[in-house]
Amino acid sequence: MDFLANFWSNVTLGFGVAVTPFHLLLCFVGVFLGTLIGVLPGIGPMTGVALLIPLTFGLKPNAAIILMAGIYYGAMYGGSTTSILVNTPGESSSVVTCLDGYEMAKKGRAGQALAAAAIGSFIAGTFATLMLMLFGPWVAGIALNFGPPEFFSLMVAGLTVVTSLAGRSLVKALFATLFGLAIATMGIDNQSGVPRFVFNNPELMDGLEFLVVAIGLFALCEVFVNVADLKGAVMERLNIKGSLWMSREDWKRFWPSCIRGTLAGFFVGGIAGAGAAVASFVSYGLEKKSSKHRDELGHGAIEGVTGPESANNAAAGGSLIHLLCLGIPGSGTTAIMLGALLMIGLQPGPLLFIQQPDFVWGLIASMYIGNAMLLVLNLPLVGMWVKLLDIPLYLLMLFIIMFSFLGVYTVNNSVQDLFLMVGFGVIGYLMKRLDIPAAPVILGIVLGKLMEEKMRQSLVISDGSMMIFISRPISLFLLLLAVVAITNPYWKQIGHGVRRLFGGAPAA
Amino acid sequence: MKENREERIASIVLIIFSAVYLTSAFFIPMPALKQQLGPGAFPITVGFAMLILGCIYAWQQFRGGPPPKETEEEIEKRAAIIGAEEKIEKKTDLKTMGFILGLMLLYAFFFEILGYAITTFLIFMMGVFYLDRRHLVRDGVIAVISSFVLYYIFTLLLRVQLPAGPLKFLEY
Repeated sequence: MDFLANFWSNVTLGFGVAVTPFHLLLCFVGVFLGTLIGVLPGIGPMTGVALLIPLTFGLKPNAAIILMAGIYYGAMYGGSTTSILVNTPGESSSVVTCLDGYEMAKKGRAGQALAAAAIGSFIAGTFATLMLMLFGPWVAGIALNFGPPEFFSLMVAGLTVVTSLAGRSLVKALFATLFGLAIATMGIDNQSGVPRFVFNNPELMDGLEFLVVAIGLFALCEVFVNVADLKGAVMERLNIKGSLWMSREDWKRFWPSCIRGTLAGFFVGGIAGAGAAVASFVSYGLEKKSSKHRDELGHGAIEGVTGPESANNAAAGGSLIHLLCLGIPGSGTTAIMLGALLMIGLQPGPLLFIQQPDFVWGLIASMYIGNAMLLVLNLPLVGMWVKLLDIPLYLLMLFIIMFSFLGVYTVNNSVQDLFLMVGFGVIGYLMKRLDIPAAPVILGIVLGKLMEEKMRQSLVISDGSMMIFISRPISLFLLLLAVVAITNPYWKQIGHGVRRLFGGAPAA
Repeated sequence: MKENREERIASIVLIIFSAVYLTSAFFIPMPALKQQLGPGAFPITVGFAMLILGCIYAWQQFRGGPPPKETEEEIEKRAAIIGAEEKIEKKTDLKTMGFILGLMLLYAFFFEILGYAITTFLIFMMGVFYLDRRHLVRDGVIAVISSFVLYYIFTLLLRVQLPAGPLKFLEY
């Protein structure tokens, strides 16, 4: 009873925060901009969220996170549209949607594919939010008892699990994470006051701004990568023919795959801590195995759209549990959101969850509202979004450059930051060329300071003995998890299983 | 084998970077107040780990002998599964890339000197001229909107400070 009463008061508190005209407007602006970004080719959710963070600088924390969550959700939605109509995924988590979505569009069933993707995403997103409401306080309650050693080990585990999934080569991904940690050590050490890696440059005293690195590595890098096509490239897209409405037969096939996708996605994103892209592939594998119409998969089966799209949204919602309750991002995009929250001066984690319920529950309520808005925004207006694909690539790239400069300059009003950002743009391009993933760098930067702090606090507690990380059971468990993630081909085996289920379907 | 040469160079660069980082980590001064773990310990750990990984990477690139167990196709599939970013295989247009890089550096250099609005307009038009000059009027209008109009939206509506440059007299 107590639990229910608590739950209910939290929910009403949340909606009380979210349902003000200003916050509703922000939520709408967020999902609108997010969808825009998701639809535009070449701008994934990571680039998008990073580019739009400066918009939140003038806002109070509550308002800022509502706007950001809207962008995050919107970008996840928008990506599926390009997958279905252009066969170009806007982001890695919509790669699988291309397989059946584009086939459906070729058969003149683009409308139904879009509807299935949107409704599936809506149901999955709502489910994930509900789970966050039910289990969030519980997870935060457990984490509240964590001391510095547990947090340190949790961060090590979080970093390694994400890193082990982040690229073709473990060595490269790990190096990227460490590179991020190394960047995080720049600036004045806030425990001893000693400057580190400052090179006598007063502007580096506060360390390297994370947004400088994020926008350089993602947004400007995107410009360099696309340079080859800049001259006169035109996107070929299919038109939406026929009705958006799904037939009774479609609905009958829609439900089972939607439920499977949602559960699988939530498990992958919320519990295993892996990102939305993994979730969508796991779901496609699941459909291949258990769907009644499995032989149609790859030739325009509605299950192939519903499952993965539900899964990636459920995972996106699920990884917010990690971010809000533990303060550990499970994906590149949530890492960028964490960085943004730190810039506002909020440290997400169990303390925030318990101490600032209006913030957390306001965000959760606005996720519901945003989800509903997205459904309305996406289905009837899909024709308008598709028109965005006609924007010539060179204009898009110039816009990205412009917004990057605008955004980074507003952080510190510093020209030096602009040059550093361009430098990171070049580094990002080289990394991409060498196939070194960029997301772990961001993860490292965002977690680096806190990780070092927790490590030093732990050693103060233990009087310098490293055993403290091993002698505490939870900490030991988390470290073992990290070891498993790195050494054992544990994840590879899952990958292997997925790969087998995936069969001969063309990847990407 | 050109691919491999790039990776070999990269691995050496990474080793050098790690070594420089590690060495400078050793020179981080100790604070007057003795602590369990000084400010240097964490960077030194990170530096060591980077150096080791850099060496493994180099070893992977330089060892001859048997190719990696996974076939190229398998790697591709796994990459798709784990959502790795797609690799760039297109032939790169170095001239355009150099132009874009130059454009960015100019943008950064003049950002405060000429102010946001003027610099953005000029950079945008330079980009348009170089990349595609078939729709000059349309693109010119877009450039004006994204420089001057956006400037006022940000400074007046969102209260975000942007450099005004010579246009300072126009304010308020």
